[in-house]
Amino acid sequence: MAEQGTPVPFRGGGFAPRAKRGVGVVVFIALIALVEWGTRSGWISSLTLPRPSDVLATFGELWSSGRLWEHLAPSLTRFAVGSLFGVCAGIGVGFAIGLFSYARAGLVPLVAALFPIPKIALLPLFVIWFGIDEASKYALIAFGTFTPTVVATYGAVDNVDRTLIRMGQSFGLSWWSIVRKIVLPGAMPGILSGLRISLAIAIILLVAAEMLGAQRGIGAYILEAGSLYDLERLFAGVTILSLLGVAVSFAIGAIEKRLLRWRN
Amino acid sequence: MTFTRRQTLALISGTAASALAAPAIAQNRKITVGALRLTSHAASFVAEQRGYFAEAGLDAELRFFDAAQPMAVAIASGDVDFGITAMTGALISLADKGAVRIIGGALQEEPGIDGQKILASDAAFQAGITAPGMLDGKKWAVTQAGSSFHYMGSKIAAAEGIDLQYTPLQKVGAIIGAMKSGQVDGWSIVPHIAKALAGSGAVHIIGDVADYLPDYQVTTVFTSKKNTTDERAMTEEFLKVFSRGVDDFNAALVDKTEGDAGRDAMVELIHNYVYSDQPLEKAAPSIINGAMRLNANAALNMGSLRDQLDWFKAEDLVDDGIGIDTVVDDSFAPTMA
Amino acid sequence: MQLSLVGVAHAYGDADVLTDITLDIPGGRILCIVGPSGCGKSTLLRLIGGLERPTRGQILQMGRAPEGCLNPLTYVFQDFALLPWRSVAGNVRLVLEDHGLPGAEARRIVTDVLARTRLSDFADALPRQLSGGMKQRVAIARALAVNPAVMLMDEPLSALDSQTRELLMDDLVALWTRAPFTSVYVTHNLAEAVRLGHRIVVLSRRPGRIAEMVDIDIPLAERTADHPDLARQQQHLWSIMRDEARAADSELVDG
Repeated sequence: MAEQGTPVPFRGGGFAPRAKRGVGVVVFIALIALVEWGTRSGWISSLTLPRPSDVLATFGELWSSGRLWEHLAPSLTRFAVGSLFGVCAGIGVGFAIGLFSYARAGLVPLVAALFPIPKIALLPLFVIWFGIDEASKYALIAFGTFTPTVVATYGAVDNVDRTLIRMGQSFGLSWWSIVRKIVLPGAMPGILSGLRISLAIAIILLVAAEMLGAQRGIGAYILEAGSLYDLERLFAGVTILSLLGVAVSFAIGAIEKRLLRWRN
Repeated sequence: MTFTRRQTLALISGTAASALAAPAIAQNRKITVGALRLTSHAASFVAEQRGYFAEAGLDAELRFFDAAQPMAVAIASGDVDFGITAMTGALISLADKGAVRIIGGALQEEPGIDGQKILASDAAFQAGITAPGMLDGKKWAVTQAGSSFHYMGSKIAAAEGIDLQYTPLQKVGAIIGAMKSGQVDGWSIVPHIAKALAGSGAVHIIGDVADYLPDYQVTTVFTSKKNTTDERAMTEEFLKVFSRGVDDFNAALVDKTEGDAGRDAMVELIHNYVYSDQPLEKAAPSIINGAMRLNANAALNMGSLRDQLDWFKAEDLVDDGIGIDTVVDDSFAPTMA
Repeated sequence: MQLSLVGVAHAYGDADVLTDITLDIPGGRILCIVGPSGCGKSTLLRLIGGLERPTRGQILQMGRAPEGCLNPLTYVFQDFALLPWRSVAGNVRLVLEDHGLPGAEARRIVTDVLARTRLSDFADALPRQLSGGMKQRVAIARALAVNPAVMLMDEPLSALDSQTRELLMDDLVALWTRAPFTSVYVTHNLAEAVRLGHRIVVLSRRPGRIAEMVDIDIPLAERTADHPDLARQQQHLWSIMRDEARAADSELVDG
């Protein structure tokens, strides 16, 4: 008697999230639409959340009056100068730690001690050291981006394939050639992903840096809106920071695409 | 919850008994009063310490804040019922959103009584800045845009025809540090802080705010809009109690009609709240120096308040369409001529 | 140029890895080193190439490196060690860059070695686009580019599948036949050893000593997978190695 076969039950599948295009945008739009409807119907009071369309109008006014640029230009300068110093110094120190035993022994504990310090707490000190003008703001952002860059960089240098370095030595490449042609490109993926974190921290610190003595800047604009309890301006300012974050992330993505073409 | 007959009876008789004892409409009505640890908030301290709140049947709890702005937000959120603070941009915005209302005046500049001082940092003073008019182009310290410091600086600048660089430093402590180290050049502050700083030589007093803003109503009493409509009786009661505290304070420290004993008693009372981390002997001069006239009956100075609102609008700090009626409810306290 | 090892011994801390290795590496011939895993063959190769310093003994270079030799002792690694961010040509060029060659000369060398390893069509490809066998051919091309006096090959075929291995062995034989080079070839695979080695050195288990040395006189070009003499040689080598391998296999890893 031939036995009736039953199909083997399927037990696989799942656990493999796939990118679904556009879902993120839909979530955004749905949330904004919900808030718009809630504030219009009075279900969300004007004290709780601003009306998205009012935020957009505030943003438009900022744009058309030219005040957007007035606030954005100093902030972008602070962001660029501060993070340039912090990232360059961080990569330099990270390489020193990754390459030299004495630097590692001496600096790793120091960096570990500096990392958790809330940089905002040091702002008054920076004002005394560097003055209340731009230098103290650059210093705060530079300091904030420095430590994560150091940690990312020396981790990346440590992770460079040792067989590649040995290969370089076996072909008689100079120390400097090995650092430049093998260690630096090999550490680049780690440095760039560290850069994503460092620059996000720089954006966060922008607001902190503009707490003391800044009349212009997105951070100062947000703080002013907060002190005036002007929710439309507050949200417009926060949105600008978000967009700045997206732009920075996109820029790093583009750099990665260019510099790390050799990866899968 | 269900009540037995006996419990219900006990409850009713208990309520009746306390109603007989207290004259007010609200029996042990729980209210929260926001305050800063400043001499200008003394009326609340007096009412609390001398039992005026309890006599009126108000079970008042003082809730302390670090700055005026969170207090305004706490009133808007309903966590605090009454507050005393300067007419800040946040207060106007919250009033515009229908959350809060100014119902009375609290503190005001008055000729002949020591008021807020205009300061120059030592560095600026040594560089020859000895009068407010010489601060042209210099850094003027403010906590935040739209704060009372900003208003005073702006008014002084307008009167002198000069430009000031308004430098936000968020906190009074940060401003004091920046003044001492010469990072900012000018500032205005209540007299006891001004005198203490000037005494140490770190800053110099170069003028009086009253010379530029003679009847400036520095701080106001405010509450939630709901309290002005749904809880009128309670709000009126609060202002009455508050005014008793004001009268005691003015008599003891401003008009000095109660002699040294009355002054010392008042200083001791205030010392429970202000400078309480210092010994009484050390705190007393600061408290006495900080005594500015509190407005009797919480009287509103509509002229000054209107001027402040207009300034906020002119500086584009608040919406142009906000009228004084949106911000101030003048049905609770008398207005000055 | 020849190399000569005199009483070489090496230890990592207290653990002896190699003892008393005395060995001549003749010019123009391939010397294979075989032995059970962990016998120190790769360590020996690193000592020969100067990547590590022996604890005792000497490694001597006899005579001068020939004219035009840029890197006398040149390795080919088991895992290829190609820079993933450089193209095939770029990887070859890397080892010429520190020698101050004129650009045209460097280009000529790159073109030449890529042609010799049949990689000319892939000059611009990145390593990730290549199969394992092609990657190893790039590594061999790179080694040839510096015109080495001795090629030090550390299990160069072990990471490849058996078909690719066969093809690459043919390539190596062809390269050697066209221009004989000196090589030390480390492997654990006896079939490779008998196909490529003019002389085969069998190391004992750790600490490695020379257990046996076998010369095979059959020309490389005539050696095929089913050559009877080679099969016999392989069998002979295996009989020497088997006991060592079994003993090594039953040892604890950290001794």
